[in-house]
Amino acid sequence: MGNLILNEWIKVIRRKATLCMIGIMILFVIGFGVLTKFMDSQTPAPENNNWKQTIEKQLENDRSSLEQTGANNANLKMYYERQIAIKEYQLKQEIPPQNEMHMWTFVEDSQALITFAGLFTIIIAAGSVSSEFSWGTIKLLLIRPLSRSKILLSKYVTILLYGLFFLTILFVLSAIVGFLLFGAPADTVTYLAFANGEVVERNMAIHLAAQYLLSSADVLLIATMAFMISAIFRISSLAIGLSLFLLFTGNTATMLLASKFEWTKYLLFANTNLTVYFDGVPPVDGMTLSFSIIVLIVYLAIFHTLAFALFNKRDIAA
Amino acid sequence: MEYVLALDNVKKKIKGQEIIKGLSFSVKKGEIFGLLGPNGAGKTTTIRMIVGLMEISSGDIIVCGKSVKKDFSKAIQQIGAIVENPEMYKFLTGYQNLLQYARMQKNISREKIAEVVELVGLNERIHDKVKTYSLGMRQRLGLAQCLLHDPQLLILDEPTNGLDPAGIREIRDYLRKLTHEKGMSVIVSSHLLSEMEMMCDRIAIIQKGELKEVQEVNSLINDKHILYAFETGSLGEAMQWLQKHYELKKVDSGFTIKCQKTDIPAIINQLIERNIAIYSVKPISKTLEDHFLEVTAG
Repeated sequence: MGNLILNEWIKVIRRKATLCMIGIMILFVIGFGVLTKFMDSQTPAPENNNWKQTIEKQLENDRSSLEQTGANNANLKMYYERQIAIKEYQLKQEIPPQNEMHMWTFVEDSQALITFAGLFTIIIAAGSVSSEFSWGTIKLLLIRPLSRSKILLSKYVTILLYGLFFLTILFVLSAIVGFLLFGAPADTVTYLAFANGEVVERNMAIHLAAQYLLSSADVLLIATMAFMISAIFRISSLAIGLSLFLLFTGNTATMLLASKFEWTKYLLFANTNLTVYFDGVPPVDGMTLSFSIIVLIVYLAIFHTLAFALFNKRDIAA
Repeated sequence: MEYVLALDNVKKKIKGQEIIKGLSFSVKKGEIFGLLGPNGAGKTTTIRMIVGLMEISSGDIIVCGKSVKKDFSKAIQQIGAIVENPEMYKFLTGYQNLLQYARMQKNISREKIAEVVELVGLNERIHDKVKTYSLGMRQRLGLAQCLLHDPQLLILDEPTNGLDPAGIREIRDYLRKLTHEKGMSVIVSSHLLSEMEMMCDRIAIIQKGELKEVQEVNSLINDKHILYAFETGSLGEAMQWLQKHYELKKVDSGFTIKCQKTDIPAIINQLIERNIAIYSVKPISKTLEDHFLEVTAG
């Protein structure tokens, strides 16, 4: 299996298109860094000496919102409770809000670029099976003493590894660029998380790494779908087109539907953003983290069952 | 006789249509076996079923005692194949391509790869990208890929396609060497008759998904000069004598006769005694092509 994954990895990395993707990724991070630096120098962060008053004011607002809207919306209630707990903790421990730019805030901002990591992963996923067909190499690939499932699985694992690879490039590179442009934070920064009814301080780097992974759930699902389409129809353009369309419109469409229909919660895109369970509000009332994870697993299972069943069955006539 | 490959009443149905209608034949150890047939006869479909690219609708294929249907991994382990064109990853070098296939088998050493590269004569160009290769070089790289795991059976679809005469000869000599020295069996498919004739020990003629016949190439060649064409003047009463002793056919300028080479002087003597003018006598070689057209016409 290791050898098969190595084979797949080589087949992707040795292509010029892949090197271009990595190059584009690096350029984007640097460009984004320079842009952020420029904007930051134009509008320096205001010195906030009476931050305690500001937070107390916000707390008051939060409390009244909790009473008004929290009563009939469980998710919003949770959200406000979390906000209040964190702000009370800030006041108690005297942790002023972060206003200055430093490397970790830049890493956080760079999350916007995850879409590109996703885009590239999807392109690789969409070509994975179908290009073997268009090259004609599928005939040499499948006449080895290995089952078709094993070959397909190695391709899928390789795609996941590439997704992770792009995310790592993005994370590490933006940490480096952030450090060079904005420097390390003056004090040790921690992330305040609300878990199991109390506020805990978390290491910023670990928190951000987790953020990166959590916000890649939609990429994982769409890449799997692209992989499935590619394995079933053997046409990479269809796989790329359909997947990218969903990647860019899926979230918006789901949000629009979510306000009107309850069944939206069973849609793929209502569940792909897992970060809402830690820092936000889920799209439909009553959704929980475990619900979303189950929905995602069901979708993954459907995609894989279809891909493997059809790939194993079909005659190779290409 | 040991069989390396046996097809047992193999059928293939695609969308209700029977493409292969019950093929049965077997390939002996160490022989070069030709699959001959017009385009669309089912040669490639048969090959695809042997290597597991297509499912067998009914019947079974046995490779070295292992069923392709039930024990695919073990059966395919004994096969090295090129199906249609030898298509490789063009953005990789020849060597990187071979490494890909080596990693999919157990225990293939670097030495083995080097040995195979040497055998197919790609030493100088093996570290160049495949996209710079000529068709002949790709064909050789395809052959190298087949040989990595020392299979018992080689399956080559149109192996001489796109090769120059020297290249064709090289492949032919090379296949001979493999079958003689290593006891490998080879299946080649082609519609190039003269090529098959020079290369194969036995030839199966396939038409419309059916096996027409399996012929030893040697017997075809021995049969060759059995026909002689006599160009003569009017035969007259000599005709009766000839018809009494030989099988002959009257043609415009004389006759054709079925006889041994050693009979020719006697026949000429008889004709001269009867004062019949003889302008020429020549053997008519019945080529594989004639035979092929004869068999497939019916």
